[in-house]
Amino acid sequence: MNKHTWTVVISFFAICLLTLGTMAGASGTDRHIYDDAGLVNETELAQLEQLAKEHSEELETTFLFLTTNDAEGKDVVTYMKDFFDGWADENGQEDAVLLTIDMDNRDVFLAGFGSAETTLDDDRIDLVLDKVMPHIANQQYTEAFREMVVTSSKYMEFRPGVNPENLLFKWGFQLGVSVILAGVIVGIMAYNSGGRVTVTNRTYVDHNHTRVNSNRDRFINKTVTKRKKPSNNNKGGGGGRIGGGGVTGGGRSFSGGGRSF
Amino acid sequence: MVIHYKCPNCGSDMTFDSESGMLSCGSCGRKDNIQNFSDEFITATFEVDEAKQYHCENCGAVIITEAETTATNCSFCEAAVVLGDRLSGDLAPAKVIPFTISKDEAMDAFRKWCKNGRLTPKGFMTADRIKGITGIYVPFWLYDLDSKAKVNAVGTKVRTYTRGDYIYTEKKFYDVYRDIDLSYVKVPVDASEKMDDVLMDKLEPYDYKNLKEFKTPYLAGYIAEKYNYTDQELLSRVKTKVQPYIDDYISSTINGYASVNYKNKQIHTSQKKAYYTLLPVWMVYYDFDNKEHIFAMNGQTGKVVGKPPISFRKVAGWFGGIAAITFIGMKAISFAVGGVLW
Repeated sequence: MNKHTWTVVISFFAICLLTLGTMAGASGTDRHIYDDAGLVNETELAQLEQLAKEHSEELETTFLFLTTNDAEGKDVVTYMKDFFDGWADENGQEDAVLLTIDMDNRDVFLAGFGSAETTLDDDRIDLVLDKVMPHIANQQYTEAFREMVVTSSKYMEFRPGVNPENLLFKWGFQLGVSVILAGVIVGIMAYNSGGRVTVTNRTYVDHNHTRVNSNRDRFINKTVTKRKKPSNNNKGGGGGRIGGGGVTGGGRSFSGGGRSF
Repeated sequence: MVIHYKCPNCGSDMTFDSESGMLSCGSCGRKDNIQNFSDEFITATFEVDEAKQYHCENCGAVIITEAETTATNCSFCEAAVVLGDRLSGDLAPAKVIPFTISKDEAMDAFRKWCKNGRLTPKGFMTADRIKGITGIYVPFWLYDLDSKAKVNAVGTKVRTYTRGDYIYTEKKFYDVYRDIDLSYVKVPVDASEKMDDVLMDKLEPYDYKNLKEFKTPYLAGYIAEKYNYTDQELLSRVKTKVQPYIDDYISSTINGYASVNYKNKQIHTSQKKAYYTLLPVWMVYYDFDNKEHIFAMNGQTGKVVGKPPISFRKVAGWFGGIAAITFIGMKAISFAVGGVLW
């Protein structure tokens, strides 16, 4: 092979790599943050874009952040739906997780579209919001989005329908159970190493002369106490709740949940 | 009074044989049933000053014994001797369970037990440093006890139900009374000062099917001791021993309550009978790491008790192994359920 052929081969591979690279990039979009309300400053914006890009590529689901000061008279869900229809048509992308902060109505809404509707269902969205809301209450909007991206990505790796916050999945719990079980078993082994007591309370009983001569079980009195049934909606950090998933005007169904702040 | 058994055939020393349960001659192999062994061949000599010294019937040497010893071997000629006066009158045992495990079987059983020690150091498991093994008839009192229990208690039944917006908890209180007769037979308590009570308790149970009327030939070839405590002195100990059995029986008769609160529990235990009984124990002395470890083996069932040395490395190994396997198991479950490893 001469020099010329080498150049051709190398350029060919370079072009292939470039195309692959752009194709991978095209699975999401360059822009993840639509901060119309101006809640995030310039330096943070770049960091958030980077974070959103990484997680979006890994999970093949685009993480979006939408903020607004003017909901055009719509409620947060409608505003979010309309935004997403427009965004999805424009980018040709249906799998997305969208966090909307509506400063006009002071509502937050988190929605999962496409595959995220099952991997991030209403229950998981509720769990994510539990972690996101404290940041929003403290006006740390950057931190809120970051928390949403990290927690959602973590949850979306779990099999659909499973509660990702279940104790069973916690490292501490798994370690604790292992250590306690091992401790108990080894403890019993050590305790019994010197021989066990194998006499039971039946060993020396003379059954012919052991009996109950008389017994009495007489009802004396009774007490009844009552308490109110605990109501179920005691969560929510002060704000009201906004119902679950639905369908957008463009026919896209989603899982979702929102809260006021 | 020193008792010595001579073989009616050849005149050699006879000892108890654990395999056949008979008095047997080591030289000619003659075996005699103990319950009808003729008194003719039991030589019993009374000493003048027997509180101090016994002389061997066989060789005439002084038999060196401790004050509790009732049977031993002559330290010069090895002949089995039984000190009869320490086994008569108040000191006469009523019953005996003869050894069914011979010395060799005891050694084998002990070695096997050492090998199974999961936490014992490797060097200990080989069991090659057994310093000595001694067959001892340990004095026990077997108590027959009658107990009367009268119990007053308040039993509570709890029911919860929902009506409308409220959860109701209904507690019903019952006056509970039980009058119970309890009877326990042949509860053993060791009457030897030397023997560790905890060790002896762990040796139980003995199989009372082999409980025999006491005859001195059973002791031939073994060490035997007389009791240090009378049945009256040990009555309180046997009472504490059966106490949990009684409590357990009482609570087994009170059923169907969520909780039981005892108001009054009168338990009166009386001794019906106490049998002075000799039970067979193999004592094993084992040197390990410059320390003597003492083990006891039930001479009838082969059960071994005693604190073996514990290897820190083995404990750590088992702990680590079990913890690791459990952890992997937990991870596998979480993967099966949630589809993630972490």
